[in-house]
Amino acid sequence: MMHFAQIFSYGLLSGALYGLVALGLSLVFGVMNYLIIAHGALIMMAAYMTFWAFFYLKIDPFLCILLVTPAFFVIGWILFKVLYQSLMKFSEGEKIKNSLLISFGLLLVFPNLAILFWTADERAVATAYTGKVLDLFGIRLPYIGLGGVALAIIVIIALHLFLTRTYFGKAIRAVSQDHEAATLMGINVNRICLVAFSMGFALAGIPGVITSLHAFNPGISMDLTNKALIVLILAGFGSIKGVLIGGLLLGAIEATGVYIVGAPYREVFGLILFVLILMFRPQGLTGKKA
Amino acid sequence: MKRIILVALLLVCLAVVPLITTREYVLSLIILICIYTIMSHSWNLLGGFTGQISLGHSTFFGIGALVFRYLWLKGIPPYLALGAGSLSSLLLASVIGFPAFKLKGHYFSIGTLALSMIASITIQNIFPGVSFLPQEYLKDYSLVPVYYMAFIVGTITICLVYALTHSKVGVALVSIREDEDAAEAIGVNSFKYKVIAMSLSTLIAGWGGGLFSFYVASYYYYVPFDLGWSFDPVMITFIGGPGTVIGPVVGSVCFVLLKELFAISLGQINVLIFGIVFILIILFLPEGLIGLMERLWRSKGGQSVGMA
Repeated sequence: MMHFAQIFSYGLLSGALYGLVALGLSLVFGVMNYLIIAHGALIMMAAYMTFWAFFYLKIDPFLCILLVTPAFFVIGWILFKVLYQSLMKFSEGEKIKNSLLISFGLLLVFPNLAILFWTADERAVATAYTGKVLDLFGIRLPYIGLGGVALAIIVIIALHLFLTRTYFGKAIRAVSQDHEAATLMGINVNRICLVAFSMGFALAGIPGVITSLHAFNPGISMDLTNKALIVLILAGFGSIKGVLIGGLLLGAIEATGVYIVGAPYREVFGLILFVLILMFRPQGLTGKKA
Repeated sequence: MKRIILVALLLVCLAVVPLITTREYVLSLIILICIYTIMSHSWNLLGGFTGQISLGHSTFFGIGALVFRYLWLKGIPPYLALGAGSLSSLLLASVIGFPAFKLKGHYFSIGTLALSMIASITIQNIFPGVSFLPQEYLKDYSLVPVYYMAFIVGTITICLVYALTHSKVGVALVSIREDEDAAEAIGVNSFKYKVIAMSLSTLIAGWGGGLFSFYVASYYYYVPFDLGWSFDPVMITFIGGPGTVIGPVVGSVCFVLLKELFAISLGQINVLIFGIVFILIILFLPEGLIGLMERLWRSKGGQSVGMA
């Protein structure tokens, strides 16, 4: 039982990270129906950026968020202008298809760029607190994981408050519901999309920082994308609030699967669940758009 | 008429290549082009003609390779094993692939992606080792029979796709791609035609897998299940021209030759370049190289070659 509790709590810790991983993807998909399957590759790049900052400038990874997030906001801004703006005119289906294909190209570009800069070797940021654990009634919880959970909760609540309480956030939600109606209300849809897209990229920076604290390599891009997609389908496409719950759910399912069948099949449980939900409840478990 | 003679001439030239040269490098290149042509045509049937973007074709490729290798080592003649391999990939498709058609649009894409990842992880766990060819097979291993198999299967694939897409079925498939709801409204049974496209597509992917397993002497069992076998056909088809018969062939030739060229001179950057080229083609040349060629041809004042 103790063994299960240990695995399960680890599962929840990684689950919070999965929620964070899916956040940017969910925002971009919710607002403009762009499916950026390269999201995992962005997180991987952010992890390398953190690694660099830590290695050369000796900046603490958690402080790196202040560095990495704005950098990715700018990258998102540029990529939107260069690649994604021209897709705005398409119908919904075409938009999803073309954005999927372009981001598929990015999924080839980024990992190879990373291999070019940093080689394919495993890297990890080793801070003073790496490996330190909190002993809670015999269950060992690493501080890094707990930091990740705290960060995930803070970021998701902050984004939720931003979207519901501020004027700009309300404009983003209006655009996500109906582009034309939002235009008629005097909202500059192009501008909102540009900012929301860049925010989606910036949100890839935060899980990137946490990823850098564990061992990572350019090959994790696909795994991260895959986690993000599973969380998205659990939470319902475009839902922000559901993302944290979806992530925790995925973490719990994986942990249970690992306990019953074994660690090598860890990824499979989420994927099977994903396919089943896609087939029987494609609108997601909660089934509402943000 | 002129085109038929041209194609026949090309086929004869390709058929006599092993008689002229047995240089392994030349044969290898043509075999690779054939494998990629078969794979991208398999994808093209579903993605290019029917508009269902699958990101999971590696599963069917892999199953073809797995079954072929198993039967071949049991002493069954390669051509029979190839047939059995492709049938088993069709079988797998009918178990997991057809239900996937309940998914529409991007749900289908990410659903098939998930399926191929499940397959890849499962195979890595069940068969962690390398598939070796036993001594007596290695002794008389030669590229010439592989070459002929690749040549024959490649030709059959192209003929099959040509015949299919120039029939009523082909028109139905394109109508589903253009607008599924409208196609349904005028009486096209979209589910039926999607199943036809999926069946043929997986059958062809199974051939490709078998061919790979016949060509590569020893490989890790999970290699044919690698996601690259799902992704490369997408790239090749879009570079060549999706929804055309000649596009994937042109794409495969470019892909294999450029990869060969880049891999020597540039190393890792070659995939990077392909990624960038792919993005540029999606943005600026949605009809691929074939579309570009036709446009250039027309602007020169000539007639459209109408190779589609």
